[in-house]
Amino acid sequence: MAEIDYTAVVAKDLEDLIPVFIKNRNKEIDLLRTAIGAGDYEQLKQIGHRMKGVGNSYGFAPISDFGKGIEDSAKKSDKAAVGGWIDAYADYLSKVQIRYE
Amino acid sequence: MSVMTEAQAYRVLVVDDDPDMGAYLALLLKKEGMQADIVDNGDAATMRVMTDPPDLVLLDVMMPGVSGFEICQRLKSEESTALIPIVLITGLDDSQSRVRGIEAGADDFLSKPVKREELVARVKTLRRLHDTRKELESRRLAAEVERKEAIRKTFSRYVSPRLADRIIGDMGKSDDLFAKAHRANVVALFADLRGFTRLTDSTEVGRVVEMLNEYFTILSEAAYRHEATIFNMAGDALLVGFNVPFPQENPAALAYQCAREMLTQFAPVAARWEKEQGIATGVGIGICMGETVIGNVGSPHYMSYTIIGNAVNSAARLMQLAQPYEVLICDRVYGEIKNVVPAAQMESRGDVTLRGRADPIKVYCVTVPLGGEGSGG
Repeated sequence: MAEIDYTAVVAKDLEDLIPVFIKNRNKEIDLLRTAIGAGDYEQLKQIGHRMKGVGNSYGFAPISDFGKGIEDSAKKSDKAAVGGWIDAYADYLSKVQIRYE
Repeated sequence: MSVMTEAQAYRVLVVDDDPDMGAYLALLLKKEGMQADIVDNGDAATMRVMTDPPDLVLLDVMMPGVSGFEICQRLKSEESTALIPIVLITGLDDSQSRVRGIEAGADDFLSKPVKREELVARVKTLRRLHDTRKELESRRLAAEVERKEAIRKTFSRYVSPRLADRIIGDMGKSDDLFAKAHRANVVALFADLRGFTRLTDSTEVGRVVEMLNEYFTILSEAAYRHEATIFNMAGDALLVGFNVPFPQENPAALAYQCAREMLTQFAPVAARWEKEQGIATGVGIGICMGETVIGNVGSPHYMSYTIIGNAVNSAARLMQLAQPYEVLICDRVYGEIKNVVPAAQMESRGDVTLRGRADPIKVYCVTVPLGGEGSGG
């Protein structure tokens, strides 16, 4: 994965939706961790797929990349790779800065 | 402000199990002035579309439980929801999903991540198509109503309102009955007002028209009551047909009953006229049955739904021969009604050669008991 840009440029009109969006992403981290703990690759695949769609739409391109990584690794049942993507995702969420335009 | 704009009236149902994606799509649509509702699963989507149909459905393909394809297929197979446009939201470059979507009947596709310009452009295009389709459908319905009304108007000149309704209700089948000439066995009844020429010479013109209207009202009401079709009113003569445009169980008996009612209803009126004007009038009737040609005859400027044939000509000749309050019938009509009319009321007039016909035909006279007034003719 290319260098992560920790600044998300979000459309001004989405501003009201962002607090819930971020809250849901943090919940997603918990869900992903529970799923990897249970070895539930189907669930990991579904969550990854959903992240792929929603990240870019809101202006958080790295979330889509993490989602793709999780989905692809889950398809291969590659636990280590999935774990790496989850960690990167959690790190991103803790650092991301939002700029509204 | 309670005024609803046209754009607000356009309702989109967003179906996505991801609440953030649903909220994002709904926001973009609302910014375009549309109304957007969100549901997060297939069953709720199906229920909502069935009970409160939107103008468009934005449907995510990948959902737990019922997939977007299944919902799409279900909605497209229901007559009531088949025309609602459905946009499937698939993964980027997911050509397999697109093929499945086309098979399921989807109208368009959007890829995730959804680009707002693309979403708006696609929804607007589908909205235009949908509006055009709605407009065409409402024009088609209006034209259909107009066409039926025109047909009703046309045929109410010829038939009773009840029969006109039946013709309209039977459109498709009966359309052809009126559009194309055809042959059928028809009972033709001609009625003519006797003594009226003398009356017109001595009566004020306005009163003459009133009297003619009264006479024709009595005769046409009797015709309608017996499900006859009125083909012509000319001067003081009337032509009606039975067994046309729809077959009737016993058209000859209906014609006889109709003639009987015409005479009995007119008799008191004639008696009143005689008191007022001092001139006796009466109705003579001829009835004949046979194969006729039925169709719209005339020029592009004036068309008339009419019956043509020997039976019609013979009924006209019989009417001319009939004395006031006499009903003259041909042998075929006699054969059909001899069991329903008392023998004492029927009398043979022997073989009569009618004008315009080479061979004589057997003619019978039916006497209609009038109960006193006017029976003298």
